[in-house]
Amino acid sequence: MNLVPSGTLVVRVALAALVLLVGGCAWDGPMSTVVPGSDFARATLWLYALITWITAVIGLLVFVVLLWILVRFRARPEAPLPAQIRGHTLMEIAWTIVPALVLLVIAVPTIQLTFRTQGVAAPRDALRVTVRGWQWWWEFRYPDLDVVTANELHLPVGRAVVLDLEGPDVIHSFWVPRLGGKRDVVPGRHNRIVLTPERPGEHWGQCAEFCGASHANMGLRVIVQASAEFDAWVARQKAAPAEPAGLAAEGKAIFARSACVGCHTIAGVSGGVLGPNLSHFGGRTMLAAGMWPNTPDNVAAWVRDPQRLKPGVKMPDLGLTDEQAKAVAAYLTGLK
Amino acid sequence: MAIPHALRQHELVHAGEGTGVWSWVTTVDHKRIGILYGVTAFAFLVIGGIEALIIRLQLARPHGAVVGAETFNALFTMHGTTMVFLAIMPLNAAFFNYMIPLMIGARDVAFPRLNALSYWILLLGGLFLNASFLVGAPPNGGWFGYANLTTRQFSPGPEIDFWMLSLQILGASSIMAAVNFIVTILNMRAPGMTLMRMPLFVWMSLVVQFLIVLAFPPITVGLIFLMFDRFFGTHFYDVAAGGDLHLWQHLFWIFGHPEVYILILPAFGIVSEVLPTFSRKPLFGGQVMIYSGVLIGFFGFGVWSHHMFAAGMGPVADAFFAISTMLIAIPTGVKIFNWLATMWGGTIRATVPFHYAAGLVALFTIGGLSGVMHASPPVDLQQTDTYFVVAHFHYVLIGGSLFGILAGASYWWPKMTGRLLDERLGRLGFWVLFAGFNLTFFPQHYLGAIGMPRRIYTYAAGTGWGFWNFWSTVGAFGIAFGVFLFAVNALLSLRRGPPAGADPWDGRTLEWRTSSPPPPHDFDEIPPVYSRDSFWREKYGDSRGRKPTPRPAAPDPHGIHMPAPSHWPIVIALGIVVAAVGALTSLALVLIGAAVLVGGSFAFALEHHRNPAHVRQEGGLGVDHRKLAMWVFLGSECFLFGTLIATYMAYKGRSVVGPHPHEILNLPITTLSTFDLLMSSLLMVLALAAVRRGDRFQSRLWLAGTAFFGLIFLGFQAYEFTSFVHEGLTLQTNLFGSTFFVLTGFHGGHVTLGVIWLLTLLGLDLRGRLGTPDAVKVEVAGLYWHFVDVVWIVIFTLVYLIP
Repeated sequence: MNLVPSGTLVVRVALAALVLLVGGCAWDGPMSTVVPGSDFARATLWLYALITWITAVIGLLVFVVLLWILVRFRARPEAPLPAQIRGHTLMEIAWTIVPALVLLVIAVPTIQLTFRTQGVAAPRDALRVTVRGWQWWWEFRYPDLDVVTANELHLPVGRAVVLDLEGPDVIHSFWVPRLGGKRDVVPGRHNRIVLTPERPGEHWGQCAEFCGASHANMGLRVIVQASAEFDAWVARQKAAPAEPAGLAAEGKAIFARSACVGCHTIAGVSGGVLGPNLSHFGGRTMLAAGMWPNTPDNVAAWVRDPQRLKPGVKMPDLGLTDEQAKAVAAYLTGLK
Repeated sequence: MAIPHALRQHELVHAGEGTGVWSWVTTVDHKRIGILYGVTAFAFLVIGGIEALIIRLQLARPHGAVVGAETFNALFTMHGTTMVFLAIMPLNAAFFNYMIPLMIGARDVAFPRLNALSYWILLLGGLFLNASFLVGAPPNGGWFGYANLTTRQFSPGPEIDFWMLSLQILGASSIMAAVNFIVTILNMRAPGMTLMRMPLFVWMSLVVQFLIVLAFPPITVGLIFLMFDRFFGTHFYDVAAGGDLHLWQHLFWIFGHPEVYILILPAFGIVSEVLPTFSRKPLFGGQVMIYSGVLIGFFGFGVWSHHMFAAGMGPVADAFFAISTMLIAIPTGVKIFNWLATMWGGTIRATVPFHYAAGLVALFTIGGLSGVMHASPPVDLQQTDTYFVVAHFHYVLIGGSLFGILAGASYWWPKMTGRLLDERLGRLGFWVLFAGFNLTFFPQHYLGAIGMPRRIYTYAAGTGWGFWNFWSTVGAFGIAFGVFLFAVNALLSLRRGPPAGADPWDGRTLEWRTSSPPPPHDFDEIPPVYSRDSFWREKYGDSRGRKPTPRPAAPDPHGIHMPAPSHWPIVIALGIVVAAVGALTSLALVLIGAAVLVGGSFAFALEHHRNPAHVRQEGGLGVDHRKLAMWVFLGSECFLFGTLIATYMAYKGRSVVGPHPHEILNLPITTLSTFDLLMSSLLMVLALAAVRRGDRFQSRLWLAGTAFFGLIFLGFQAYEFTSFVHEGLTLQTNLFGSTFFVLTGFHGGHVTLGVIWLLTLLGLDLRGRLGTPDAVKVEVAGLYWHFVDVVWIVIFTLVYLIP
């Protein structure tokens, strides 16, 4: 590659800087805070942008003045002693009052939005979801729909949703940037988020409060769907999982007689509540709170060796052989 | 403009002033202690920096495999804790120690041995914290250590124990040092050095000392609760028992936000010295700069909950803390504008210290403005706990604090060593650091905006975070190289730097009026102070060129008395750390450490009891140093007990099981013991009056009586505690038991200390060593005793009387 055949060093450096800037700055990542996908995120972004521009202009002004000073007032040889000015009351009053006025411009919409996004009662037809943050995975309960799932939250587009945050162990923070700001999951306290998703699609989220060894491995996905698709998903969740056959049936037998049942619920098989509900595990895209794609191979590796693959994970090594792990993986990924 | 008398080679060499290792171990010279602080803090800065580099290497690419999750969590915990408590704070303390006495025209600090004690506790506490690496259990709960993750249930190992014990040890060191500097600044100024004539650095340091004295008690109490939860099974952070997890967050941030100003205000002070010197103009709006610094410190106590916007405090609290946080931007902005106006119209000499000071103005502007962004709660919900915040506070703490410290280090280096630094190498170091810093942290704003959370050891490629993380890591090595160049420059200067002379920068303040390095007693004659920038005025005159009429030096009626070296500070510090090691290993070691601590403290307290030079320690305010120190300490104690009492009140009625207060508190007995304690205060007054009169019989009688009444109170408390335990209330029973025993137990501990103090005074009296001139010692003990009584009245009212 020879893009700059005869460039001077300066040109090369400038080009490199440009490439860095262009190549580096994509704003629409899956966890971007500046691509709103809900009313909450949109209102936040408006204020975010307002404050960003105001502060950027102030910053630029300071830099221009500073640079001007550094160039203009550099000592020249034999420079006389400068006038020993100790202050200027009027100017000092001015640069006390003007920032105060600017802050007022920021403060008013800030207070308005703070109350608008927190104080309001949720609409009566809002979808209610109880979000429970566990070390290190997410549980989602739809009390009105009688659906329990984990790590992947399905929401219908255009309908208000109330997320009630419950903490069974330590403090976590529920955060899906494209749907809006984060809110801590505090054991013993009741926090909630109210928002209306406005855009179908898959949004990434992650625990945002340090919560121990695998804090980094506590991701989640929010799948915002058209109303009909959401209803279909709910119907699938409520249906009994298909009965396995072949290798998967073998996997089911292993699952049912091993320690799995102590923590995991699979409708009709087990009733554990300490780990994610696996009744429709095969319908999820990711495994172990966003760590890997949910493929039979990955699941086999996971049930074989969870302690090594996810630091600190509460799931014990089950002592499965490779064959047994494959069978369990076939069973679980078949639970659509 | 020679100042011959100030630069005259001194002939006074103190007996204790040698050069061997022992002379450094026992030194009480503020300049030597300043150097010890500086060298120690620089070493910890390097350790914290290495931790940062490993963090950056791990994050350079998605799915990094340099370290594992547990190691990474320990690294960011230790990086934060080290940089805050063991690097930036002691680097600032190095300047407090070395410069404050010189800048106010004093010969040392008010309590030189206490100063040494602060240092040794800091050093040994820092080593204790880092010893956790050696036993494979470095703290891993974050520098903010949010409970309940840090409780035994979720962090069973010794990691958190190391962290919470070291933080308490380091806090004790900070509070002692702060009391010392408050007394030094208020009481030891040279004649003519009025408060408003003090250099800005001294002013900002004074504000910082008050922040330390008042902000450390809440976190100390929070840590004590954590310690009791972990060691003794109390329930302060136990949700199942009714505990509220916001408690720790409030206690931590009531400390944590003033701590930000503890870290940054000294840098503001340094810049306010450096910019005028190299612009050859006075500081613009000097008085406003003082007021704005005081205001920042004051507001600093009213903004802590902006760290908790995501925690769910409700819109009213969010709105209040948003407004108070925005208000802080006003005095901060005033500082920036006044610095610009200081340089405006000057003749700027772009030396290395000036580079760092101007760099601070630029970089702190960015950090301050991004701070305004997350003062807005809705916006903050998208920014907090992301790399946007990491970028923000590194602009404040590196771009602000560290650049200020490097400005100060290169500005005062010639004063401290007598040698100049190399300007070209220094400027190269500055630009490497400046470029590396911005490459590291500016992109982190962007990373935060596209959603990268803090404290994650790994991330997926699909997030789009990989590219700028890589460049951020490259930049971090630039920072390291910049610091390395500074160190090289310093070492070269020590070996072969050209002599600096007393006043290499044409300075404005008193430290430039004595030799470089200054003699052990700082000034041969205490310098006269004519105005702000007094030394400049002596050289150049006022705006019309009128020089002040030279004033004869203040007389030194007792000659120059310099404190003798002492080995008790390091003994006491060793006792503390041995006890801390014992807390993790064996009770026997705790007892040995406590014995060394108690024995060392007695030896320390009585070391100079008979030295006539110590009888009077009066300063500019006409108040004895010891009395002033006690007042300041009691201010700190108010916050300590205030936090304990507030927690008791907040947890009142939250116990999920009995016994409850009304079922168990014995009002008649406690009323009796309260009356007894009040009467002891009366006896204390009589004792002081008797000592003042020189009435030996009565002084012994009343001292013994006060101590006896104190003992009776303790007897009542022992009876009360025993009967409660008998009735089924212990520390572990419920929240009431936890809060009640810790609160009243702490008060009882204070009474015990008071009784020991009184008995010690009585012992001195019985041996005829408590004469009329020693009355101030009794007075100081009396202040403490009365305070402890007043606290009891508050406790009695709130705990026993109000149902």
